[in-house]
Amino acid sequence: MVPVGTEATTNSERAVQAQAFADAMVMENPEDRRTLGLTFERVRNRAEPRRTPRISLIVVLPENHVVSPDRLAEGLRAHGNQDIDVVVACAGQPTNLSALQRSVGDAQFLLAPAGTSTEDLRELAMRQVPGDIVTLLSGALLPAVGAEVPLVMTS
Amino acid sequence: MSSSRLLSVIVPVREGNATLARALNAILASELPRDSYELIVVDDASSDSSPELAARYADTVVRLTARKSGAAYARNRGAELAKGEFLAFVDADVMVRPDTLPRMLTMLADHPELDAVSASHDHAAGAENIVSQYWNLLLRFGEQRHAGTSGNVASPCAIIRRDVFHSAGMYDEWRFETERLEGIEFAQRLEESGRSVFSSRDIPITGLKQWNLLSLCREVWGRSALLARSLGYQRTRVAVPSDVVFTLSRALAPAFAVLCFLVISAAFVPTPNATIKAAIVLLGAIALNFPAYLSFARARGILFAFVVAPLHILMQAVNGLGLCAGWVLRDAVGDREPDATTQAYAEVGVEIWPPVPRANGR
Repeated sequence: MVPVGTEATTNSERAVQAQAFADAMVMENPEDRRTLGLTFERVRNRAEPRRTPRISLIVVLPENHVVSPDRLAEGLRAHGNQDIDVVVACAGQPTNLSALQRSVGDAQFLLAPAGTSTEDLRELAMRQVPGDIVTLLSGALLPAVGAEVPLVMTS
Repeated sequence: MSSSRLLSVIVPVREGNATLARALNAILASELPRDSYELIVVDDASSDSSPELAARYADTVVRLTARKSGAAYARNRGAELAKGEFLAFVDADVMVRPDTLPRMLTMLADHPELDAVSASHDHAAGAENIVSQYWNLLLRFGEQRHAGTSGNVASPCAIIRRDVFHSAGMYDEWRFETERLEGIEFAQRLEESGRSVFSSRDIPITGLKQWNLLSLCREVWGRSALLARSLGYQRTRVAVPSDVVFTLSRALAPAFAVLCFLVISAAFVPTPNATIKAAIVLLGAIALNFPAYLSFARARGILFAFVVAPLHILMQAVNGLGLCAGWVLRDAVGDREPDATTQAYAEVGVEIWPPVPRANGR
């Protein structure tokens, strides 16, 4: 490798060095993606060079928790027009998946056993998502009867 | 997730399994309302489960998966995402008290002329071993002696106005890949641009990191050498007199003078006795470091002060050698720079994630 700053170093050599560095920057070891009995579909392969960070949004829904459309939209808007991998981590079986799927068409679902805590859901989801920048959005407790219809809820 | 939060708390972490949970729990136990701040953890290519651990508590986790880039780099990536009016930089191995962040924010709100506020270590240490306790008290000693309006964003817990942070050019991620001197360098820049930084002696934090003799020697050596090589001893002492490098080295010059005096005097002692000479030298060393020992004795008792006295002298010796090495390196090799490929990459300017370290206008 030719040291930078010497007379022998040309722009093309620097570009080659730069590309080598870039390749080194994005090489990653395959991760141990244990599913731990969870249902999950991997979003995308991350071992490819990229110019911008991959962004993931984890929506955490423990039992009897919901996330409002406004909150979800705000979470999506926070990263502008960039592609976002959305992962919904639920404890138990969500009852109205279709509503969420309508809002976020390509959301992936991580279904953990009922009773899984918020913290455990967050940690499990974090193991699965591919993002360089991961935003975590926790749901709120299910509102009382007659309140605004939630976007998604768990049983 | 709100876009109008008051505070963004940024926690850089690398291999932080041992302390990260306690540090983040302490932040979440803050008296600040939860919706008034966002918690951003930036993982600097840890090989342990720090990102997953961080996800249990944080609003946003940034994974820098390529290679170790340093705390300065990690903090800058967090600051780029932050939306708060104020940025709080809290290390992953310190524990804030419930009122730490609110008091710092209140101070900035009450004093618009202030641009940044930093906390200081308290008497307690997260680890129980003597070395960790000594280091914590040594940091506290320097911070307490030089508290006030003196530039110090070197503290492991500091809050700065976001616009000031960005306009000052953020932390220098070009030179500080390994040693944690980015706060000192940043303080120098703030000082030079006429910004006002307040280091408070009354806002405490607790250090959680467990030190041993070897890791402490490495830390002191690394800090001293890099400070002498890249930042300049005198210039830094004016800007950040509370740093531990100056706490340790302040007694070095008088110690050297006293030692020379004693060696010369020994030639005139009528009945040379090694024990007496050693005792005289030891008394001289204790006298020169008396303020530090007094501080240790007040915090932990006289016995503790006696026990750590040799450790303190050892750290002073390592500090002195590190400074000398830094000066030699500065003259022989020059200032610290990243490796050639990183420089080449920065020069070409191709965009990639994670971004190449920036040269901060140099």
